[in-house]
Amino acid sequence: MLAYLLRRLIGLVAVLLAMAFLIFALQGIIPADPARAIAGVAAPVEVLEAVRDKLGLSDPVPVQYGRFLGRVVQGDLGTSIRTRQPVLADIQKYLPASLELGLAALLIGTALAGLFALVHRRFPGSAVVRLTLITAGSTPIFLTALLLVYFVWFRLGWLPGAGRLSHRGFSGPTGLNLIDGLLAVRPDIALDALQHLLLPALAVALPIAVAVGRSLGASLHEVMRRPYIRTMRGKGLSEGEALWRHGLRNAASAPLAMLGLQIGLMFGNLMVVERIFAWPGLGLYMVQSFASADLPAILGVSLAFGSIYIVANIGIEMAQSLADPRIGLSRSRAGAAD
Amino acid sequence: MARRGGRRDQRLTMAAAPVLAVRDLSVALSRNGRSSRVLEAVSFAVAPHEIVALVGASGSGKSTLGLAIQGLLPRDARPEISGSICVAEAELVGAAEPALRQIRRSLVRVVPQDPLSGLDPTMTIGRQMAGKAREREAIAWLRRTGIADPERVARSYPHRLSGGQRQRVLIAMAMLARPRLLIADEPTTALDVLTQAQVLETLRGLTRAEGSALLFITHDLAVATSLADRVVVLEAGQVVEIGPVGAMLAAPQAAATRRLLAARYDLGSDRNRPLPAEGASVAWPAARRDASKVLELVGVSKTLGRRQVVHQVDLSIEAGESVAVVGESGAGKSTLLRIAAGLTKPDAGTVTRLGETRPQIVFQDPVAALTPWLSVGEQVADRLRGLGLNTAERRRRLGEAFAMVGLPESLMAALPGELSVGQCQRAVLARAIVVPPRLLLCDEPASAIDMPLAAAMLNLIGALRRRLGMALLFVTHDIAAARLIGDRIAVMQDGAVIEAGEAEALIARPATAHTRALVAAIPRFETAR
Repeated sequence: MLAYLLRRLIGLVAVLLAMAFLIFALQGIIPADPARAIAGVAAPVEVLEAVRDKLGLSDPVPVQYGRFLGRVVQGDLGTSIRTRQPVLADIQKYLPASLELGLAALLIGTALAGLFALVHRRFPGSAVVRLTLITAGSTPIFLTALLLVYFVWFRLGWLPGAGRLSHRGFSGPTGLNLIDGLLAVRPDIALDALQHLLLPALAVALPIAVAVGRSLGASLHEVMRRPYIRTMRGKGLSEGEALWRHGLRNAASAPLAMLGLQIGLMFGNLMVVERIFAWPGLGLYMVQSFASADLPAILGVSLAFGSIYIVANIGIEMAQSLADPRIGLSRSRAGAAD
Repeated sequence: MARRGGRRDQRLTMAAAPVLAVRDLSVALSRNGRSSRVLEAVSFAVAPHEIVALVGASGSGKSTLGLAIQGLLPRDARPEISGSICVAEAELVGAAEPALRQIRRSLVRVVPQDPLSGLDPTMTIGRQMAGKAREREAIAWLRRTGIADPERVARSYPHRLSGGQRQRVLIAMAMLARPRLLIADEPTTALDVLTQAQVLETLRGLTRAEGSALLFITHDLAVATSLADRVVVLEAGQVVEIGPVGAMLAAPQAAATRRLLAARYDLGSDRNRPLPAEGASVAWPAARRDASKVLELVGVSKTLGRRQVVHQVDLSIEAGESVAVVGESGAGKSTLLRIAAGLTKPDAGTVTRLGETRPQIVFQDPVAALTPWLSVGEQVADRLRGLGLNTAERRRRLGEAFAMVGLPESLMAALPGELSVGQCQRAVLARAIVVPPRLLLCDEPASAIDMPLAAAMLNLIGALRRRLGMALLFVTHDIAAARLIGDRIAVMQDGAVIEAGEAEALIARPATAHTRALVAAIPRFETAR
């Protein structure tokens, strides 16, 4: 177990290094110029060169990369060109909002996936529900988000369509408003945070629900026909007990892997949804950094997202091994199976 | 869920009443939208403490009957049931699901057919047997089924256990509820002969000791008669004969019973002619033989993982000769066959094959050996490619092959999924012999199918090898089948050939204890034929 975590940690560092290098390499290809963005469109060439030198942008890419790595090791992600704040401070400021949205989306997505998996099994009219869900899941995320804003907020006025809170100036220890509201025993704040959270979380959750739900449904459908499920029915277990105690465990592996993939895709979706709902999180920060070719910020957020993704997938591998103990966490043993 | 008041005193009335009473039971199941009668007016009863064997060929409806008695007919098949099934005076037909569950929980338990897939692979044996609360009880039952180290087994996951151990676990799991009726649905088909005999003994001993009645579902009359008090013979969904074992063996009434008896082979069967499964038979013609070696293995060894599966084996087969390799599962016989075929490279030793046509293999599972999306005809004709034959010639050879294995030409366009298991096995044989090899390799081709089909398969392989002059290497765990098919028998244990010789001589005077055990494990009719 410890050896497994250590190995994954080394993997994490390797992936982050590769990621940082890729983004650095991309800088040479994309036409955007941060020096131009700072100096202004009309600035003369000399001023532009001066800004370039000051930012270290005229050095060769490997030198810039080495300099960046050296700073990162010391916990310094550089200064954002756009906000002129340390990138680390920016990330600390915007991460809780994204974390709140992402976790809520995962929670809603997994719950809906479970529902969807049940629909996958059988009941009269389940085909209609299935079709609706597939349509919802295959609609591009910006369209889903816009439709939700348009109908639920603009036309119906049921839920707010922008921002995280109506109350200004509230802040708590975790930065997750819903939890902070509950911790501070402010049900009004918690409710307000929840209302703001629901729509964007639903938009992010839908593709997760459809993908994971289909995988879980198909997996369960197959598992519930296995002979050992018949054994359990023969023992007098009800259909629900057989599904809950024996079916789910055996069916869990593929949908968990799908969930891991979806977490990766979710970061992209967070950018779109945070932009549409004016949700002040890392996704929105990232979109704004893109617009101004703010390389330190882009790099910092990428590293943050990358780390979260890898940690989440370590968690998923552990969950898979928990559901099916035959999936060992140490890879060396799997080779010498008897 | 609550039992109705009238059932409370059922134990008082039980002494006289049967544990299981099936009256006029008819079941129709629908498949692909078509409804078909699977059981037709079935009536029989099982008394307390009695062992009743339910015997029939595949497709006779015996497994459906077993499921009906548990109230577990597949819901997808929209079962239509009429008649009555009473277990300990509780009516199952038309009962609500909670009542059926209560019956399954405490009155009727089942030992399923396939022990390898019958246990949840993600849960320890102890937990899936009884949960945490009754673990000590579970361990006690495991010990009673003859498991030597029940504590370790209870902590293990199923994939760590052998097939025999898993079947014992399933028996213990069923007996844990002290059921009034135990249904065993072909519980030993997937096990090798030695384990099969032990598991049967365990089943009989435990049900006798606990006073549970046993309904034993099987296709094998010898197993049925060695175990049961009475036999119910099922054919095409109907009971054709019912009676005590002795009387039925002495004078079988129904044609189906006589057919089952005729298909039965054991160590006393006449090996000079085909088995009389398809009516009277004439003696085998002499095989064309000569002294050239079609296969010669010298000092062959193979290690897989840390285990040496094949150890220093010498084996040679002459042209036209048939050699049967016998051993328990795990003895290394399948690996030896793969080495003979050239599919596995040995670590040490030499393999010499004669002739340019590669040896052909017939595997144990015929369904898995056929590509599901190609028609049977295409798959057989595949081997005719590259021989420079024109279309008409290929067509003729294909027709010949189908005729030789006894498949109608109309099935050429069928997909494997549309064929029965027996037909699939014939198609696999047709593919092997459409270009006759010098050497045919068979890996337990008759062990996963029921007795009448197995007899037909042995007859067919025996006929084809004589007609086409093929040498044969036949791997099996059944020494009775080995004796029928092989001129010589080689007995394998733990990767080594421990004994080899002419078939009759070897069985009459086994030199090793292991061979004696294999011979003794073959079920025999208890009354003389």
